[in-house]
Amino acid sequence: MLSQDNLRLALLSAYAIAIHGFEKLIPTPIPWLRFGLANIITLTAMVMYGFRAGMTITLIRVTVGSFFTGTFLGPAFLLSFGAGVVSTTSMGIVIKLMPRVFSPVGISLIGAMFHNITQLLLAYIVFIKRIEVVIILTPIILIIGILTGVMNGIVSGMLITGLNKYRSNDVNDVIVNP
Amino acid sequence: MKKKFIALIAVLSIFPALFSCNLGKEKIYKDSKIAMDTIVTINIVSNSKKNARLAASKAFGEIERLSSLINFYSDGSELSKINRNAGKKPVHVSPETMDLIKDSIVVAKKSGGAFDPTIGAISVLWDFQKKLIPGKRDISKRLKLVSYKNIIINEKKQTVYLRKKGMMIDLGGIAKGYAADRAIDILSSSGIKAAMVSVAGDIRAYGLKPDGKPWMVGIRDPRPVSATENILAALPLKNMAISTSGDYQRFFIKDGVRYHHLLIPWTGMPAGGCQSVSVIADKAVITDSFATAVFILGPEKGMRLLEKMGYGGVIVDYYGRVHITEGIKDKIEIKRPERKNHSG
Amino acid sequence: MRLRDLKGKITPADVILLFLLLAISISGLIFIDNVMPQGTEVIIDVNGKQVYMLPLNTDKSVKVKGPLGDTLVEIRDGKVRITESPCPNKICIKQGWIKRGAIVCLPNRIVVRVNSTKDGNRKVDAITG
Repeated sequence: MLSQDNLRLALLSAYAIAIHGFEKLIPTPIPWLRFGLANIITLTAMVMYGFRAGMTITLIRVTVGSFFTGTFLGPAFLLSFGAGVVSTTSMGIVIKLMPRVFSPVGISLIGAMFHNITQLLLAYIVFIKRIEVVIILTPIILIIGILTGVMNGIVSGMLITGLNKYRSNDVNDVIVNP
Repeated sequence: MKKKFIALIAVLSIFPALFSCNLGKEKIYKDSKIAMDTIVTINIVSNSKKNARLAASKAFGEIERLSSLINFYSDGSELSKINRNAGKKPVHVSPETMDLIKDSIVVAKKSGGAFDPTIGAISVLWDFQKKLIPGKRDISKRLKLVSYKNIIINEKKQTVYLRKKGMMIDLGGIAKGYAADRAIDILSSSGIKAAMVSVAGDIRAYGLKPDGKPWMVGIRDPRPVSATENILAALPLKNMAISTSGDYQRFFIKDGVRYHHLLIPWTGMPAGGCQSVSVIADKAVITDSFATAVFILGPEKGMRLLEKMGYGGVIVDYYGRVHITEGIKDKIEIKRPERKNHSG
Repeated sequence: MRLRDLKGKITPADVILLFLLLAISISGLIFIDNVMPQGTEVIIDVNGKQVYMLPLNTDKSVKVKGPLGDTLVEIRDGKVRITESPCPNKICIKQGWIKRGAIVCLPNRIVVRVNSTKDGNRKVDAITG
């Protein structure tokens, strides 16, 4: 059972890393617009397999992802790490304390907000150091968070609904043939 | 649940509406054009881009019209017609040209002839592009053609007559200020509540900026330390005008001597006492002409004239020392970086 | 299509949250639009330290040295942009021309700002002379 859990996490993490990498290839109209598609995997895993699964995937994604981009322990890594942990934690808390109050869309929104705000604050601390720049960027980043949060939440919700139908089946089948 | 989705879509559609509401607030619309052989910039405070554009185009139109009337160098202008008919016959002119010539005579009287619109006979001798110093004899021959007292105005017939053949009116020292004033008149009659017009360095401010503050105007440093630190001082302007005459505007240097366009009416040579003079008063037609007059009078006499007239002024003298009239000392903010005094 | 299944799962709390966040960000945008003045100066910071202050109305290109190398900043027609940057993602270049706000190049630690309101630094609307 334990090995199956690990296999599941490894696969989900691999998906997260792949999506994360793939996302960088998508051209966006605004440079600051990042979809945060990997959060779909984190959220889905958290809803289905619990907080620890979601957090593990986030940590693996951030760390291994930074090996690929060569930013491990650099400022970009710090931003991505901090934002990932805070965002995942915020979603975990919401699921734990207020189960069923929010649908995946709401949870994803909360995650996206915390992700973007943490990233902005960390950027302020380690690098920008100009409060007026942060003030200019905050609403823009919030709006981007709303867009991406809702989008990811919808995809996540669809995944969860779909996966729940296969709940009794072998997990490998689920992931290989979603 | 369907209702909520409709609500959601409604919210999203309000989005652009909210942004368009935002257009209702006042902004500064800035537009620049080449007119009167210089760059004219109009800043308009308005809550509508369309209104601002419309008002600006009217103001630009007025400046271009004025330019066509009083351009010293264009044969088609009324001013050229007056000059061509000097010593021959009076020339009928438009009310604007009449107005401006009358204003220039008033300033000439008040400045004791330091500002003289009939300097044209001398100023044509100087060519600052070709760096030519006119001969002493050429200048002295023409000096007798320079006197505002020989401009004969007939208000009833709306005519201007120059008494001596060869006399020439050059309104270069007053026309840009007048144009800035006219532009502001046009803007305010078009319903604009705040604006700033600068015709080259002749600036007239009207009303307050959208943030409720007066317009801030910088005075160019006649000898800047660097291209980026080129402001000597800055001061707020509320329903006032400012102009600057400087020896760096049109000049050439020959054998270590700086020859510039601010000519003394009684010698025909460039005035030597100042590097630059800025005058602050309620109208740009005043500041433009008085900046020239004060420059020609030099720092001491110029300062006395400013105080007597009750105008504000900033004089940078030949040695680079800055003199400021009492009335504006507490409003002005010196921006020039610290350095030793030196002459030009 | 499973989107239909999902519609039934949207909770009132989701909708309230969405409303709230929209309201906050829109009012934030309006607030900033009001507070941030139209700029007249370009300020370039490296590592949080100011290295350049240039007028926005004067066309100019400057080379700014960051930890990765030289970033080229161009000012033209009252706008500013980054034309060259040693950073890997080139996000700063893609951001293109700006008239207000800021361009941030994270890897090379460069911030190009248009006219901050920092400590009431009085800007000038026009120059006489």
